[in-house]
Amino acid sequence: MNDVVKQDSTRDVSTESRQASALWPAVDIYEENNALYVVADLPGVPRDGLQVEVNDNVLSIEGEINLDMPEGMTAIYAEVRGQRFARRFTLSHEIDSEAIEARLDNGVLNVRLPKKETHRPRRIEIQAA
Amino acid sequence: MFGDLKRFDSQQYQPDWFQQLFDSLFPDTGAADIRSVPRGSFPLINVGRTDDAVHVYVFGAGLTADDLDISIQDNVLTLKGKRDVSDDEASEGKSRSHFRRERTRGAFSRAIALPDGLDPDRAEARFSDGVFRIHLPKRAELKPRRVEIQAA
Repeated sequence: MNDVVKQDSTRDVSTESRQASALWPAVDIYEENNALYVVADLPGVPRDGLQVEVNDNVLSIEGEINLDMPEGMTAIYAEVRGQRFARRFTLSHEIDSEAIEARLDNGVLNVRLPKKETHRPRRIEIQAA
Repeated sequence: MFGDLKRFDSQQYQPDWFQQLFDSLFPDTGAADIRSVPRGSFPLINVGRTDDAVHVYVFGAGLTADDLDISIQDNVLTLKGKRDVSDDEASEGKSRSHFRRERTRGAFSRAIALPDGLDPDRAEARFSDGVFRIHLPKRAELKPRRVEIQAA
């Protein structure tokens, strides 16, 4: 089970430089009801700036920050220094990648990753002898 | 005019034992940025200015207008609120195991000193996609003024 949330280390060279400048969104990950849930903070990312992809058992979350900035503005203080968020997670094979759902609400991304039917716990009825 | 911008946190930041040990083993040779924020501060703040206003961006993912209290007094902008991670509690009868809990939950409070010369009575705030944008116009007498050159 633990490898479900293991951080992905399989970055290839082409994405490395892009990832370096990206912000790391804070996430909560939990398991409930035969599904894994990933909740990520992506403030300033509109729906059309968000990309959630599953490829080769890697869940990748990328979002472009789009702020309404008046023309000619200069920054005098910045804690968020970046234009985009990016984070990737390796999934285990028990996740049904066809059934993944994602929802974005006020800058919070909710991803539901259901487990495959075959990997759900099964209750075994005990018959009276 | 804007050089005096500073921030101060009302909550005392206490490094945990591991961080203290780590810091003593590997002392930081360079001095930390005086404005650097401890990891995990919430919400993060960006401040920018234009000729006629100062804009404060508050990155509060998951907050709505009712969750954030913005007040200005004596040029100090205070942000207070509470972020309920509503899905925090496992629904009845279901077991929930957590693997990561990085997101800030619960009450927060942050304060930041603003530059002089702003007009708090005309301040406006709006929010979209989890970012609050506070527009603080400068007082009219402090806006840059173009001086017309008269013919002699």
